[in-house]
Formats: sequence, C-alpha cells, structure tokens
Amino acid sequence: MRAAALLCLALLAAGHLAAQDSQFGIKGLGTPGRWESVRARTTGGAFAPFDPFSPLTDASLADARRMSASVAGGTSWRTLEPTGAAEASLRATRFPALVIAGPVTRRIVVGGGFATYLDRTFGIRIQDTIDLRGVPQPITDEITSDGAVSDLRLAAAARLHRRVAFGLGFHLLTGSTRIVATRTFADTANYRSSTARDEVAYAGRGASASLLLDVTRDLRLAGWVRSDTKLRGDISGRQITESDLPRSYGAGVLWRAGTQASLAGTVMWRNWAAAATGPDSTVHDTFNWSVGAEIGSLGTPIRFGVRGGQLPFGIGKTPSEVGYTAGLGRQFSGGRGRLDIGLERLERRGTGLTERVWTFLVGLTVRP
Amino acid sequence: MRRLGWPLVLLALAACTENTTSPGVCPNFCPSGSISIQDTIFATIIERDSSFRGYIQAYQGALMTAADSPGVVDSRPFFTTQAFGSMRIAPNPGDTTTVPFVVDSVRLRLIIARRDKQATNLRLKLFQVPLTADSTSDFASLDPYFTAPAVDSVSISGLLATAGATDTAVTRFWRSICAACIDSVRVDSAGNVLLMQPDSSLLVYLKLDTLQAPLSEPDSGRLAYGIRVAADSFASVSVAAEQAGAGAGPRVNRYYHYTIPDTVSTKPDSVVHLNREIGPRFDSFVFEPPSAAIDSNLTVGGVPSARTLLRVAMPKFLHDSIDIVRATLILVPVSAVRGVPSDSFAIEARNLTADLGAKSPLGGTFVNTFMHIGSADTVRIELTNLVRTWSLDTTQVTSLFLTQVPEASSYTQARFYSTRAPAFRPALHVTYVHRFQFGAP
Repeated sequence: MRAAALLCLALLAAGHLAAQDSQFGIKGLGTPGRWESVRARTTGGAFAPFDPFSPLTDASLADARRMSASVAGGTSWRTLEPTGAAEASLRATRFPALVIAGPVTRRIVVGGGFATYLDRTFGIRIQDTIDLRGVPQPITDEITSDGAVSDLRLAAAARLHRRVAFGLGFHLLTGSTRIVATRTFADTANYRSSTARDEVAYAGRGASASLLLDVTRDLRLAGWVRSDTKLRGDISGRQITESDLPRSYGAGVLWRAGTQASLAGTVMWRNWAAAATGPDSTVHDTFNWSVGAEIGSLGTPIRFGVRGGQLPFGIGKTPSEVGYTAGLGRQFSGGRGRLDIGLERLERRGTGLTERVWTFLVGLTVRP
Repeated sequence: MRRLGWPLVLLALAACTENTTSPGVCPNFCPSGSISIQDTIFATIIERDSSFRGYIQAYQGALMTAADSPGVVDSRPFFTTQAFGSMRIAPNPGDTTTVPFVVDSVRLRLIIARRDKQATNLRLKLFQVPLTADSTSDFASLDPYFTAPAVDSVSISGLLATAGATDTAVTRFWRSICAACIDSVRVDSAGNVLLMQPDSSLLVYLKLDTLQAPLSEPDSGRLAYGIRVAADSFASVSVAAEQAGAGAGPRVNRYYHYTIPDTVSTKPDSVVHLNREIGPRFDSFVFEPPSAAIDSNLTVGGVPSARTLLRVAMPKFLHDSIDIVRATLILVPVSAVRGVPSDSFAIEARNLTADLGAKSPLGGTFVNTFMHIGSADTVRIELTNLVRTWSLDTTQVTSLFLTQVPEASSYTQARFYSTRAPAFRPALHVTYVHRFQFGAP
C-alpha cells in the first residue's frame, strides 16, 4: 500500500499543473479544465457537485468534517484523426486538481486548492516548402506552448440548516505558458534555425456560490453559479490580450439508492461566447451533462459514468464530446486514506477533427 | 490493492515521457500567429568601404607560387640558403691540422603544397640566382638568371607516373625520412624522389651533384636557386615557404665525408660519412605583371597583400524584432580574376574588434568563399553568424575585412566594385524571421 501511495506521488510529481489538453483549445483560450476529483471523474463528473474534494462547488466542502487533502493526476493517450491528414498519437501526464479542506467551526468548513481553468499545453509541427532567394526551401515550423491558467480557490461552506449547505468561493486565476516558436530549414548549411521564446503570464479573478439541499434523506440537489472577470495576458509586464470569461451555471441531483448504491446526474451551462472577439469567432456556449453511479461499500466502491456535452472552441459547428468512465476506490489506514483509480474514454468530434482519448486517473485522499 | 501495484508501476513509467507535439492541421487547429519570413537585399547598407595594400610582403607569405601562363602571368619563386658553416674539421681531438669536407651529393627538398592534378607534363626547373637575392629583388632584376640554362629539372608528372620503389633498402630509407607519408616511394632514373604526404602535398627531393650545388668557401657554402614551372597546361604550383611552418621551406641536405689519416700504423685511413641539412635564409617570389595599384574599386589579394574594409550600417530594425537566418554579402567583380585556372583562391571575411581603419585589429569570426580564375560571376560570402552577432549585440563593431587566404602567397587578386559605383556597389542580402506574435490565441 505504501508503495502504491509513493507511486501515486511519483506519478503526480511527474506531471504538470494542467488538465487534459485538446486540439480544439489551440485556436481559443485553451481547453477548459475538469474541476473534479478522481472519484467524481470516474462517475462521469456526475458526483462533482456533491464531492467535497471536487473544486466544482464550494457548498460540498460542508461535508468535509475533518481536515483532509485530495490530489488527482492522470496520464492521457490521445489520438488525433484530422480530416484529410495523417493520424497522430500524443501522450501527456497532468495534475489537474488539489483540494485541502477542514472545519473551522461546527458549521463552517474552509477549503482551498487549485485546479486547471484552461489548459494551454500543445505543440504543432508544420512542414512546408517556401520560395527563398528563388529556390524552393523545405522548412519545418514547430510551435509549442507549455502551461495553463490555474484556478487558485479559497472557499468556505456553511451548513445553514440540517438540510441546507451554502458555499462561497474566491478564485484567483493565475499561471503562465512558455511558448517556443522554431523554424528549421532543410538546408542547414546556409540557413540557421530561428527560435523565439517567451512566457505569457495570465491573471484574472472570479467568484462562485453554491447551494446543497437535502430534499429527503436520500435525495440531494445542488446548484451553483460562477462568474469570472476578464483574463489578462501579459508578456514581461506588458498586457497583450484581455479576454472575457464565461459565467457558469449548473445543477445536480444525487440519489442514494440504499446503503451501497448512489446515482447522480449533473448539467452545466457556460456562456463562452462572451469571450468571442468578433463576428467570425469560433467560440461557442456550452452545455454539458453527466450521469454516474457509485456501487458497493464505502471502503471499496465501484464507479462508472457517462458524460456528454460541448467544447467551447472550434471551427464551424460546436465541437462535442462523449465520455465513458469507470473506476474503483479503496480506503486504507482505517479510513484515513483513500486511493481512487479510474479509466476514461473520451471522444471529441468537431469540424475537421476527431479526437479519441484514453486517460488513466489516480487520486489520493488523506485525512491525517 | 497489492495486486494493482505492478500495473501502476508500469503506468507510472509510461507517464514519465510526454509527447504533446503533432502535425499541425492549419489553419483550423493551429495558433493564429505564424512564423513569417522576409528576404531583403539591403543595397545601401555597406558604406565607407576602402582598400589598403601593404599588409604582407611576398617574403612573408606562407607559399610561393610558380606559374607560367604566357600573356597572363609568370611567377617565379626563389630562395637562398643558410651558410654551410665550417668546411674543415680536426679529425681527432687535439689535432692542430684540419681536413676538408668532401661533398658526395646534395638533395634539395621542396614541398609542393598545391598543384593542379589535371596538369600534364608538369616540370620544375631549377635556376641559379645570385646569393644577394633578397626583398629588393624584382622580376626584372632576376629575369636574366631565370632565362639562363637551368641547373636541373624534375618531372613531377613523370615521378607521379613512376611505379613505386620495391627495393626495401630504398623504401626503408625514405620512410624513415617521412614516416607519415602515404602511397609509394617514387624514384626516377635521375635519382629524384617523390613522397606524398597525407594532405596530398608532395615532397620532392631533387638529386644534385657538386657542380649543381657547389660547396664554395667564398660563399660560405650558401646556395641560391630560382624555380620555374612548366607544363602542357595548368602550369602552376605552390611551393611551401619557411613562413608556412618551421622546416616547411626549401631545404638542402649535403651528404659529405672526411678522412681521418692514420699516422701511427700502416692501416688505411678511416673515412667518416655525415650529412648536414641547411634551411633557407630567404625565400620569396616575383611575378609579372605586378599587382595593380589600388584605385576606386575594392581590391583583395595580390602582393604586397591588399585588404578591403567594409563598414555595415545596420538598420535599427535589424537589431530589434527579427531573427536573422541567413545573411550574404554580395560583391560584383570589376573583371574576371586573371591567372592560371588552377589558381583559385579563398577570400575570407573577418570581423573587427575595433574599427581603426587600415590598422583595425581582426576578430575571431570569419567565413570563406572561393574566387575562381576567369570567372566574373557575382561573389557571395555567407555572413550569417557575423550579422546575427551584430543583430544581437549592439556593442559589436559592424565592420569587416576581406582578405585573401593565405595572403601574399600568390599573384592573384580580386577587384570588386565599391560604393562609388552605385549600380554595382556591395550589398547585404538578409533573410530574417519576424518576431512571433506571442499571446494571441
């Protein structure tokens, strides 16, 4: 068990603070992160509004009755199938979420951590032949971006009533991307490679509010809203971009079907079109949904789920995604720790590109 | 959970490597920014250009060119040797009487550093020149000696065509002279020997007798020879001068003996055989017609060597927001370089550490290009590294010298149009990449 825990930490340390990237995010602000723990993600994200270790809602922190920390990581194998072009396979390891929470009074829990707001890690290689000095010259351009916009969250949740919990969160959007643009020439004897590199720093703020309502002992409802200010991009202190960020709305329902089964469903809207910069924009509002279940004892649950929805950036019609997830968890050390693992299969479709992703997920939660 | 350990280890190892770069599907799935390139000829970027002559004299050159192309050029190396030293010896310690050295034979070694491999019937002729030949000697003053009958001659083509020596005594001796030499030891009927060094240069050992190389006491045993080259075509070779490196110049090796008379018994006198190698005292070359005087054009090469100073007025934008991927200096020759076709030479563009005009100290960055005899084509010198340095470091001196390599080793010289000829003035052809627009989605 100790080996497994170390393994998880090694896996997570190797990764970047980013979520799962996508080619659909290259043309836009990035690929939106998933504000979910591994537990929630293996249910398709359906349990995220009710999971205190998923940074989606703040009210769910009210269920963290002891000081706890949870971290998630994952490795993705992504296949790109562009229309009329060759397939490509990519691999990346990411470290998308960390949540630390603990009660400060009997009714109030404070938490925080980070999650990925927008992933901006990608690399593209373009090969072409240009005419230079009257001679066709084969060239290779490589543009890589490594980094993300991270969401640092400070949140508090209060149990207002036995059946009602309310949460508020303050979000600081920060992070940077290291961008390298390189042009190399086939004729290395006469032409030198050109490499330009810079670092774009991002900054923004946001606030979120959420509510959990236990309608009955077995039925729980969740609702949340989040609003973010503009996202500013700076290079060496000089502002180069400013983009509007979307408002998010969502709702979820959780049904405990007995002591060993729970079902949940979630829907979320985000008005990304606010980030559009002109009439030709490739930015779309998104609607996402998920359904999932957790079956088995608290110590060794099995989870599965399905998710669907849209991606905010893409040429033509709004890109869509469908995902299937499954996973299991295991408590250890008398319930002081929990290891969650999962597997996710995603398929994203948009004009000109289909993306298929396998993601292996590992999450570790400890209650010292 | 324990059973999950190994699969997790394997997954963790797989997670240690990343591959996030894929072929771009543009423009739909590429960043909006792109790498754009510009190719511009800066026609007026070179300014205040000048040529100066007198840096290296013929006797300071690393090579001496022997060429004979009627109506084009006649170039003749010559050299004098050091004194032989004492020509007598006391045969036994304490003897008050001395005995003379008796010369048996003489070998003159020349290194042919460059030759045209297409030359046929290539011959070297050796002429006696006055021992007083020095830096004041010119073509006219030495011409009577070069037109006199030759002291000796050797056919380089003939030696190269000779089958390698198979006599182990011969080959062992010459291998001991040049252990690094490649190919066979070639010996002609006159006893001249040719060895080939790993860099394809030739070691030629001319066998001379005591009439051809007399040990004259009034002359202190010094010798002075001039060399002419002849061939059916491409009659041009470069002979290494002493300035090319210690021991590289012409060398005379005298093989001699002396007798130790036996004054006590009736045994015959004993004979001692020795040899002594004598290096050059002075080596140089003269040629006709002489190098043209500096005029309003730019001149590189010739003897004494001429250099051209070019100053580059870098526009501000070449410093700021671009990345230079190629920079080429364009020079238009005034006329084709005259000479023997095989006498192509290199021109070196070298940066300066300070611009002090003709006496500017040279820097460490240089590039070469070759000038071909008889070609009036535009000359292009790739200055990419130099101009990139200038672009990135505004403290650098943006001037360069054009020099011939090696200097003062050949009659050849190139002449280019200067900024005084607006239609043909030097220019800089720069290919540069614009700064990438970072930050835009």
